[in-house]
Amino acid sequence: MNAVLAIYKKEMKTYFNSPIAFIVIGSFLVITSWLFFDFGDYPFFAIGVADIRGLFDYGSIVLLFIAPAVSMRLIAEEKHHDTLELLVTMPVTDFQIIFGKYLSTLVVFALILAGTLVTPFTIGFIGDLDGGIVLSSYIGFFLLGATYLAMGLATSAFTKNQIIAYIMGLIIISIFFLMNGMVSGSGFMGTLLENLSIRFHYQNFFRGIVDSRDVLYFLSLITVSLAISAAALSSRKYR
Amino acid sequence: MIELRGVTKSYGSIDAVKDVSFSVSEGEILGFLGPNGAGKTTTMKMITCYMPPTKGEIFVDGMNVLEQSMDVRRKIGYLPEQTPLYEDMGVLEYLDFVADVRQIAKEKRSAAMERVIHECGLEKVIQRDINELSKGFRQRVGLAQAILHDPEILILDEPTTGLDPNQIIEIRNLIRKLGEKKTVIFSTHIMQEVQATSDRVLIINRGEIAAQGTPDELQASVEGQQNIQLVIKNAAKPDVESILGGMDDVTLHKLHATRNGNTEAEITVSGGRDLREELFDLAVRNDWKLLQLTPSRLSLEDVFIQLTNEEVPK
Repeated sequence: MNAVLAIYKKEMKTYFNSPIAFIVIGSFLVITSWLFFDFGDYPFFAIGVADIRGLFDYGSIVLLFIAPAVSMRLIAEEKHHDTLELLVTMPVTDFQIIFGKYLSTLVVFALILAGTLVTPFTIGFIGDLDGGIVLSSYIGFFLLGATYLAMGLATSAFTKNQIIAYIMGLIIISIFFLMNGMVSGSGFMGTLLENLSIRFHYQNFFRGIVDSRDVLYFLSLITVSLAISAAALSSRKYR
Repeated sequence: MIELRGVTKSYGSIDAVKDVSFSVSEGEILGFLGPNGAGKTTTMKMITCYMPPTKGEIFVDGMNVLEQSMDVRRKIGYLPEQTPLYEDMGVLEYLDFVADVRQIAKEKRSAAMERVIHECGLEKVIQRDINELSKGFRQRVGLAQAILHDPEILILDEPTTGLDPNQIIEIRNLIRKLGEKKTVIFSTHIMQEVQATSDRVLIINRGEIAAQGTPDELQASVEGQQNIQLVIKNAAKPDVESILGGMDDVTLHKLHATRNGNTEAEITVSGGRDLREELFDLAVRNDWKLLQLTPSRLSLEDVFIQLTNEEVPK
């Protein structure tokens, strides 16, 4: 078996042999559904429009807190228990370790996404839901979650303390998420921060637009985060 | 099989290992001896590709650890200090994971599993969770993962630390058995352990090699030397220090004043001299009362202490 798959398999067992995955998936679905159906000035039932934008809008905020909780243990726990030393001295590259672990978080996130499918199916059944927007929103939401998880993994690679990994992950993801609101106006800094902001690129997907620039933005953030994670793993120079 | 050439590992301005060179032949069991913090673990971590040396080169079976790291890792089985294991896994599940990461082919896997379970005596605990195991069995699981891929080289970092005497004997026997077919480096800070297990001893202190050779060679190096323990009444510590420390062929190792006003000292006399009379005369001249004078031959344990303890400054 490929080393990536071996590490992925081990991580999946850790998630599902304990309540971690169930708590994470359950919390996200309950909180997001409650916010979507029954929260704020325009809850779904009060508006009476077949639009699931709110699900992904609230979802992006809830995921901000959930994603670092999924990724915080990935490297920090290995460092804390010294198991990383054994793992990195086996014939496996740093990137294989990172990718195997990242893959497991993506699958946990995919299960979260699968859980949310109940909402568009139900709304589509009772109202006229735009399938294109639903699809683009799901693509955007998957890219968003994949980015959060990659950034969370990167913070986990810098510490042996899971709490620190969680807090640092939350702070860094929040900064990237809210960057477009940090400077007012449309000057150079305003445009720069807007283009670096997760929220700015995420919003297009709600309108049914899958812009290659937005996709590239998320894929770039994921790649950079995974590269940082691999580099931070041990700062080694081995070939 | 393993060769270190002028290896240095620095952490900032501190050199954990300084210009160390040694080699280990195929099939040899090398006992790596040194006090805590001497540089044993750092050296092992460099050989196993966990951290690169700051200076120097390391070769394993002719391969540079930096250039052909993956091939080197395939040849080595490693048991780090404290035996890190995944607590949430079962023993079998863990060994299966190691086999996956090491990419042991499916057709060879069950034979490899059976071999390590038998060699490490894991039959009784194979279905148990790792977090339920005693320290001795945890150590065996650690050894099992290290030999699962049948490596040519085994590197074991303090494999007997924290075990009870029976478990220590079991692990020593296991190392000896594994050493019949493999090249083994194991570290310890217990001299008897190396005497009981290894073909050759390498003593490291403060990051530098203090001595190396077979246990017999090290013993021979201190033939003609004698240790003398002294308890002196009516003597000021600085006087004892300057007088004993200034004697020819004498090395002062320990010196301290006891609560009841006596001074205890330990010296090593080289050159085969019998110093007892001289010490007696010295005591008379200085009006010291000699309460104890106990000479003893230097053991291998003393060699270690001598090489790794700081001399009392003269």
